[in-house]
Amino acid sequence: MLNLHKSKESHFDILSLSGEVDASNSVILDHAIKELVEEGAKVILVDGQNLEYISSAGLGVFMSYLEDFQDQGIRLVIFGLSPRVYEVFKILGLDQLIPIVEDKSTAIASENEV
Amino acid sequence: MVKIPTIHIGKLSFLLAILVWLALLFVDLVRIFGIINELDSGISEEFTWILEILFFFTLYGFYTYSIGKNSQGDFLNLIWRGATTGIFASAMGLLTQLFYSVMGESKIGNEPFLRNFFYHLNFAFTTLFLISTALLWKHLILYQKNKQVVKQWQAFEFTMLVAMFFVFFNKNNFDYSFLFGLVILLIISIVLSGNLKWIPYLTFKEKWKSILFLSIILLSTGYLFNRLLTYGNDERFQINLTDNLFLMALFGFIFVYALFSFLVTLFNLPTSSVFEQKLTEAINFQRLSQSIQPEENEEQVLDILMDSCMSASYSDAAWLEMNPSENLTEIDQLRFLELETKKEISDWIQTQKAAQDWATGDKPENLQPLSLRLEHPKFESLLLVPLTINKVAIGRMVLCKEVRDGFNKEMINIISTFVRQACIAVENHRLLNQAILNERYQEELKIAQRVQKALLPTRLDHPDSFDICAYSNAADEVGGDYYDTFKLDENRYVLIIGDVSGKGTSAAFHMSQMKGVFHSLIQLELSPSDFMIRANAALSKCLERNHFITASIFLIDLRENSFTHARAGHVPTLIYRANEQKSEFLMFDGLGLGILRNKLYENHVQERTFHYAPGDILVLITDGVVEAKNQKGNQFGFERIKSLVEINCHKTPKELQQVLIDSLHEFVGGDGMIDDDYSLMVVKFKESES
Repeated sequence: MLNLHKSKESHFDILSLSGEVDASNSVILDHAIKELVEEGAKVILVDGQNLEYISSAGLGVFMSYLEDFQDQGIRLVIFGLSPRVYEVFKILGLDQLIPIVEDKSTAIASENEV
Repeated sequence: MVKIPTIHIGKLSFLLAILVWLALLFVDLVRIFGIINELDSGISEEFTWILEILFFFTLYGFYTYSIGKNSQGDFLNLIWRGATTGIFASAMGLLTQLFYSVMGESKIGNEPFLRNFFYHLNFAFTTLFLISTALLWKHLILYQKNKQVVKQWQAFEFTMLVAMFFVFFNKNNFDYSFLFGLVILLIISIVLSGNLKWIPYLTFKEKWKSILFLSIILLSTGYLFNRLLTYGNDERFQINLTDNLFLMALFGFIFVYALFSFLVTLFNLPTSSVFEQKLTEAINFQRLSQSIQPEENEEQVLDILMDSCMSASYSDAAWLEMNPSENLTEIDQLRFLELETKKEISDWIQTQKAAQDWATGDKPENLQPLSLRLEHPKFESLLLVPLTINKVAIGRMVLCKEVRDGFNKEMINIISTFVRQACIAVENHRLLNQAILNERYQEELKIAQRVQKALLPTRLDHPDSFDICAYSNAADEVGGDYYDTFKLDENRYVLIIGDVSGKGTSAAFHMSQMKGVFHSLIQLELSPSDFMIRANAALSKCLERNHFITASIFLIDLRENSFTHARAGHVPTLIYRANEQKSEFLMFDGLGLGILRNKLYENHVQERTFHYAPGDILVLITDGVVEAKNQKGNQFGFERIKSLVEINCHKTPKELQQVLIDSLHEFVGGDGMIDDDYSLMVVKFKESES
């Protein structure tokens, strides 16, 4: 089960994920990110506080946007991941490519610095 | 041994009948000769009667045989046979009459021998006609017989047998006992004549024919009976063969049954078409209910459906339209209708509120045929019939009639039944095709499975200085995990394990690409990090955008007792240190393949060199092992693997591998499936022998 929630905070688009991302629902995540891009989001903060599990298919979704975001100047920050989920990102090496921070305030602070 | 020729009962009995008749003729002529010449021939009347009864029996035998053999169930043919025999016998009688009226009082005309000869001839033919027709009637009466009818018939035959011998008691006198017997036989005849079940099965045309044939039989019977009476009163015949209770009763029986049949057939004529209609409906129903063979198509069923419905409702025109579906071309059938007219009526239906409500309002499975009054120059009423399969409307049939309110309840009922049956047949046909298709897919997948299994090595290259074993299991028929070993030279070996993101068919295709790339690159004897950089460059070009591959590579150098390791996003490998009796996961930075598809990847991959000692163990795994979940949603996890290896460190790689697999399955639960591909490879270093 995956629940998605989109919200806005100043110029940040916050995408909250709760539950599990696997092969069966990774399309939903992909769709949500695509929508945000089409809506003209510049900074996407992914709230992973309630994310319990992400499979390789879910990681594939984040991965597939890396180049596009770089080209379009869109920044993606993930925050609040549980140690277990963070480990998955780390093993794959995605933590080297996507900023992953502890909480929302850190995420906002880091983005405001830029 | 003497071969006995097979006895032909028909021919034999016919021959016997002729012989008996000749004997009868001879006996009677001799008697007449005696009377004329006032000599006592010494031949008693009983002798004639015995011969007469013998004649009856042989004829009965002959006809029982010949009718039973020839005509099975063809009623018209049976009646026609009776009619021809009747015509023949009557013609014989007429010719005799004509002969004597021409001869008048001439010498030949008064010749007693000739007269008696003709009398015997006519007697023979009349008997022939009576017995054959009686046996034909038997076939008709016993059509769709039940026990009661069979008993009635047996009683009739028995009484007839008695009547044959009645002549011995009665001496051919017309007295009360004769009359009594006749009345009894007539009553039985009338009772038997109630069995006319064959008549409804005649078509309209056949009924007309049978009426004609029956009237011929009635006329013949009447004529022959009349002739018989004149013979009876003629004093010139010394012996009376024909005033016989048996023959009289047969006359009565044949006449009564023919009359009944005639009348019933006549009165059945007007309702004949209804019966024919119902019979056609029953046959159509049966045709529809026969399941379609896979090689046949739905069109044939719909064809039968259209024909059946049109004939059941006497429709003047009809069409059938199927909703287009993905696996079927649109079927559109027109009957007795121009395309233009169909369009006119179709458009008219579109404008009708009732029809629109009908089509959209109810659930498809509850939809009943809708009868409408049509405003069209040619047709005045129409019936909309829905075709539904599995609660989904698949099309509709439209029946048109030139009369107003042309569809009654009975027609709609029968049409609904036809449609239901046809829809079941179509559904079965579709399901069957689906099943065949699925079977084929299954076959294809099995082939894919076999091919993919062959992509994994059957033999793992390794020197004596370490033992190795590996295992891989796919969640679906095919998977995306890969492992292999290579021997670079006597002292250098490479171990590889890889995992394509996702699972199933797409992962399997990427896995085969991965194998190709790895096999090519291994020839170049690259360092582990260079290997990954090249692999990333190659795989970036062929992987789908949201797919990536994780891999680990180990280059083992036996001289140095060391291995160089690079990790590309893969699950860290566990190393068990025998001297410390502890294990750890070899975790350092390394990005998965195909994630960063440019030169920058070089910055994200590292390689490290580790030393190993005898007794050390390497456990290479894929994420399917770590992420395997039990029913509570907990993962198998790294710690569990670690402790299992530490506990079982003394075991051989094969045993250790089995322990890990068993624990994994136990953890997931009895019937719980591990829903990802998982693989593992276990290496155990030995004391070097040199």
